Amino acid sequence: MQKSNFWSPYVAGAGIGLTLLATFYIMGWGLAASRAYALVAAVGLKGVSPGYAGSLEYFSGYLKPESPLKDWVLFETMGVLTGALAGALLSGNFRPRFDKPAGMSPGRRLMTATAGGILIGFASRLSRGCTSGVALSGGAQLAVSGWIFVIAMFAGGFIVAALFRRLWS
Amino acid sequence: MTAPLYGYGMFGVNTGLMLAVLLGVFFGFFLERGGLGDPHKLTGVFYLSDFTVPKVMLTAIIVAASGLYLLSDLKLIDMNKIWIVPTYFWPQIVGGAIFGAGFVLSGYCPGTAITGLATGRLDALVTMAGIAVGSLMFAVLYPYLEGFYVYSSLGRSTWQGLLGVNHWVVLAVLYAVAAVMFYMMERFENGG
Repeated sequence: MQKSNFWSPYVAGAGIGLTLLATFYIMGWGLAASRAYALVAAVGLKGVSPGYAGSLEYFSGYLKPESPLKDWVLFETMGVLTGALAGALLSGNFRPRFDKPAGMSPGRRLMTATAGGILIGFASRLSRGCTSGVALSGGAQLAVSGWIFVIAMFAGGFIVAALFRRLWS
Repeated sequence: MTAPLYGYGMFGVNTGLMLAVLLGVFFGFFLERGGLGDPHKLTGVFYLSDFTVPKVMLTAIIVAASGLYLLSDLKLIDMNKIWIVPTYFWPQIVGGAIFGAGFVLSGYCPGTAITGLATGRLDALVTMAGIAVGSLMFAVLYPYLEGFYVYSSLGRSTWQGLLGVNHWVVLAVLYAVAAVMFYMMERFENGG
């Protein structure tokens, strides 16, 4: 285990809070992430099967007739990738690896990473967003949505953690 | 009042997209520096071993919420032009619980998976593919889910609106709850 060079969570949290406040002030909405995945899925499906993608009612909100990829959240997530890469490189924290819980086989990790992602993708659509768009942005607006989502998320997480005691930790 | 700037027509769509990248850069940088690209830290709260996630989230929410309502009271930002995250009570309860399960299983959420990938974690890329597949599955199953998806809509609901109190009352409760939680988390991490 190398020694962590992360910032205090309070300092990082204040930085995220100021970024979110700036986003409210400049754009009039908050930060988000999960929408970018749905958009990429919609555009990807359209590339493979335009007819089928067009028949999916839910994707009609994503597949705008002209340049659907000119999307605010998609551009924002490109920024997230760039900013996080800058942070990792500047702090010497970048290292290609397949991270997993101690003692878990790579095959099993492939399964948990995939299954967890599928649940997250599905749940984010049902909830109108994720930890960024609903929990953080809604939470900071004192919106009911943000807080009920966060409470349910921790409840769901604690139940799974209790059922699979040695998954992480 | 001149803000939100975009809502008052200070710039167009393309400038907005460039600002999206810039704001995202800050978001991603702070996520990585907080350790939120590391699935061991991200899942620590669920095993009561590392409270980085609730500390970062609560701090960020307090800073942004205080700033937003202060600017609103000073008439520097128009809350009517702020897009409030809509509330759909039961879909967000059920969605939140499923989300939490996926969070513990994968070790990431949509934004932190991008952060994890940026630190070189290829397992985060697997989770990102899973999130896209899960979104696609939702779109495919949408005709069966639509009834529940739009159920229990409360619109742009805020706690102050729901309870009929001033927003600073809600913020005061938030400060008090956060203070207790920060104190408890610090004590717990330092061995009680």
